[in-house]
Amino acid sequence: MKKILALILALCTVFMFTACGGSDSEEAASDGDQVTLKLWCIATESDANRPAYLQAIEDYEAAHPNVKIEMEAFENESYKTKIKAAMSGGSAEDLPDMFFTWSGAFLGDFVAADKVACLDDVYKNNYTSEQIPDVMLSTTTYDGKHYAAPTTYNIVAMYANMDLLKEAGWDHIPATYEELTKCCDDLLAKDIIPFGCAGSETWCVTEYLEPIIQKSIGYEDLNKIFAGEGTWNDEDIKKSVDTLQDMIDKGYFDPSGIALGNDEVKANFLAGKTAFYQNGTWNTGEVADADFEAGVALFPLMNADRATANQAIGGPSDVLAVCADSPNADLASEVVVELGKEICHYNYLNAVGLPAWTPDYDTGDVKPLMIEISDIVSKCDGMTLFGDTAMSADPAQIYLDYVAKVYGGEIDGQGFIDGLTKDLQ
Amino acid sequence: MNRMYSNRVYIAIFLLPALVLFCGVLIAPIGASGYFSLYDWNGLAGKTFIGFDNYKELFTSDSIGFMKALGNSLLLAGLSVFLQLPLALALALALGNRIKGERVFLSVFFMPVLISTVVIGQLWLKIYNPDYGILNVALRAVGLDNLAQIWLGNVSTALPAVFVPILWQYVGYHMLLLYAGVKSVPTELREAAMLDGATNGQVNRYIVLPYIKPIIKISVIFAVTGSLKSFDLIYVLTNGGPLHSTEVPSTLMISMLFLRNRYGMGSTIAVLLILLCFGFALLISVIFKEED
Amino acid sequence: MRNTSKRKQIIIYIALIVWTIINIFPVYWMFTFSLKSNPEIFGENIIGLPKEWLWSNYETALTTGNMWLYFMNSAIVATATILITLAVSLMATFALTRLIWKRRKTMNKFFMLGLTIPIHASIVPVYVTLSRMNMLNTYWALIIPYAAFSLAMAILVCVGFMNEIPRELDESACIDGCGVFGIFFRIIVPLMKPAVATVGIYTFLQCWNELMFANVFISNSALRTLPVGVQALSGQYTTEWGPIGAALVLATFPTLIVYIFLSKKIQESFIAGAVKG
Repeated sequence: MKKILALILALCTVFMFTACGGSDSEEAASDGDQVTLKLWCIATESDANRPAYLQAIEDYEAAHPNVKIEMEAFENESYKTKIKAAMSGGSAEDLPDMFFTWSGAFLGDFVAADKVACLDDVYKNNYTSEQIPDVMLSTTTYDGKHYAAPTTYNIVAMYANMDLLKEAGWDHIPATYEELTKCCDDLLAKDIIPFGCAGSETWCVTEYLEPIIQKSIGYEDLNKIFAGEGTWNDEDIKKSVDTLQDMIDKGYFDPSGIALGNDEVKANFLAGKTAFYQNGTWNTGEVADADFEAGVALFPLMNADRATANQAIGGPSDVLAVCADSPNADLASEVVVELGKEICHYNYLNAVGLPAWTPDYDTGDVKPLMIEISDIVSKCDGMTLFGDTAMSADPAQIYLDYVAKVYGGEIDGQGFIDGLTKDLQ
Repeated sequence: MNRMYSNRVYIAIFLLPALVLFCGVLIAPIGASGYFSLYDWNGLAGKTFIGFDNYKELFTSDSIGFMKALGNSLLLAGLSVFLQLPLALALALALGNRIKGERVFLSVFFMPVLISTVVIGQLWLKIYNPDYGILNVALRAVGLDNLAQIWLGNVSTALPAVFVPILWQYVGYHMLLLYAGVKSVPTELREAAMLDGATNGQVNRYIVLPYIKPIIKISVIFAVTGSLKSFDLIYVLTNGGPLHSTEVPSTLMISMLFLRNRYGMGSTIAVLLILLCFGFALLISVIFKEED
Repeated sequence: MRNTSKRKQIIIYIALIVWTIINIFPVYWMFTFSLKSNPEIFGENIIGLPKEWLWSNYETALTTGNMWLYFMNSAIVATATILITLAVSLMATFALTRLIWKRRKTMNKFFMLGLTIPIHASIVPVYVTLSRMNMLNTYWALIIPYAAFSLAMAILVCVGFMNEIPRELDESACIDGCGVFGIFFRIIVPLMKPAVATVGIYTFLQCWNELMFANVFISNSALRTLPVGVQALSGQYTTEWGPIGAALVLATFPTLIVYIFLSKKIQESFIAGAVKG
């Protein structure tokens, strides 16, 4: 018994010391000019971005032996919680030097709270606008200042299993909405489910709804709405929602999807259970490696009066930024931009995303499916950033709630525009 | 000795560690939550004082749906008291009657309490899986195909589907408490009643139940406050979805904090949660007192 | 008369056995599917024993899934929490039951408030405090809150047991020349063994299973505890049930094995925890 008590007391003392003296050990870090920078990201083992992160870090460390980059990866959903909580917690020791973030309002909240270092100097001194087009920085520019480096760039695309389409008598991806419904009916006649969509992750539903809305009202109006400057009260938005619900009612969507997560829905598509899968182009590598002939296209045009066929939902949504409180913020700023550029490079070669940075390397090995997407993008006349990235957290969540209600059939187009007009304006 | 025992230095030495730990981690945060609840705060930039606006919004706004979340947890509390507890009581009475295999039954029934809620949640996710889950497979096997459901994805079935494992897991806990009570009934009382010709049922009704009333009270309090606090299983199974149909105050609080960046509103829910727990614990005590 | 009571007995038995099946089946299913391949789980052999015992699922869970690491983390956190809870609550109980001062009844009631406070309600303030003290991403970020939240129950149990230790023992020890510490360490603590076991078991289960704090306070994947690890693993292997099943079993079997040997003690600890109030 005495021994146990002695142990308890010893533990208590240890606890007192560790509790008070947590930061003592860190001062030794500066000798020899060796700097360790911490990077938080979501490139976990199962994430398609991971190889690009590892390669870019390895390259950077090889070129700069005095810099060590310590990468820590978290699962996507829990990372949102983690980074927000860490930012609100405040002290520099718990924060990384560099962190992955979504562009638009997600990063904007951190910028508004002075938590993010401005990267203007780095961009001005080290890079030209040929290397990184201004439009690729537009989603991380606040008050005219740049705060992040894009690591990739993606749009929403409709992947198709051409083998299944052939079974239903189609040798091309439908180019108009009429064709699409015809194609879906033909697929159903062959007992093939046309689409899969993960209901338990509402962002997956927006990957279907937003393109329909954009193809009905045009990218400019949709941009305005996401920025809080336009109105949801729009007859064509109502029609778009009704269109999606009409597709659901006709059985174009796998009914199990409502309870599944994105990974499961994607697995169904890759296993040949559904004919189409509409999601971000970060899936391109996986789709290209599937056992069937894959095709890709944009969702067809719905309303030629307000939109064109060559518009897409997407943009540079995945970016890296620097914590303003980092003791090595200046160095980290340089590192982060170079990392962003190189991750982008490897992501493109791995067919995980489009190049936000102009390629200055051999692109001969890029997968054909990825090149098809690059062609689509090069023909684009306009883009709208993903709604939940463009809007700040609170309105984004309200918006997602309404989208979920649409997929669940709880409200129709009228309810959608009425509700959003009331709750977001 | 009394002089030695009243020495303030000793009192301080023995009491302080607990007091510091308790106040630092439990009491002070309640104060802090109360303070945050009066502000509009996104957790990052400056706070704006808004008085009781958060409370007002919480009770009136449809889009937050606090009343529905509260309703869900009260429904769970109701089911817990009127379904889970009677079941637990029946099991306890059955086992308390010197039945063969008493210990084995008791141990098996208590087992789910010991398994981590995350494990139970993951397990039930698999049970409810629309394609391969054992529930739908079983229904299809006996020809009830039309009863097979997307249990957790369907607004009308999600709430019951979430409640079932919650209620199931803790039946054993209440049974154990009540069983201990039943066992503590003096055998003389029982035997005397039996000699007077009372049946088993009558003994249970007139001797055992009144005797274990204090334990029933504890069980009811635990059932109600536990329901108000319920979080883990719902978080794992549906996280409040689909369409907020399984939202309870604590899942709503977490989504306010970490999805919507509304720290003020999240703190408001935290404060209300604490008040509700205390309120119900008091109310139940009063009800049981009045019955006497 | 005889007949009806016989029949009643049979009905009771049937009910008990049905409930036993309801309790055992999910666990049985978990054990079997942890050893099966997807085709078996998904159709060929849903409820039977595995045709081919796939131990590789366990290998996946332990190596790629890092379950062994999470397991050790949980063990470290649980052990430290139990030791601190015991030390602190025994001391506090001594002050509450033996030492003489005015407001000790009120103080006892004050501690009992902790029984009803929901653990999740304090997450933001606790997070901010831990962060200011540079204690996020350490074991302490979990140990301290867990110990604090176990405290109320621990004091409740200890007060019950300590009140049963006759005061004459203190007095005679005092006459023999023991000081306050002497009485506490030599007389009281050794007699509190049953309470120590009760509190230890109860605290263990609390922190072994906790999810929310573990999820938010630890971002370093090397410090993850079992519940968070299980959640993460099932996020990674959504479509492969075997390794998930293996992880679930790995997270469960230590508790179950202890339970098989100590079922009576564990049950008593739960009863004492609740009823002593």
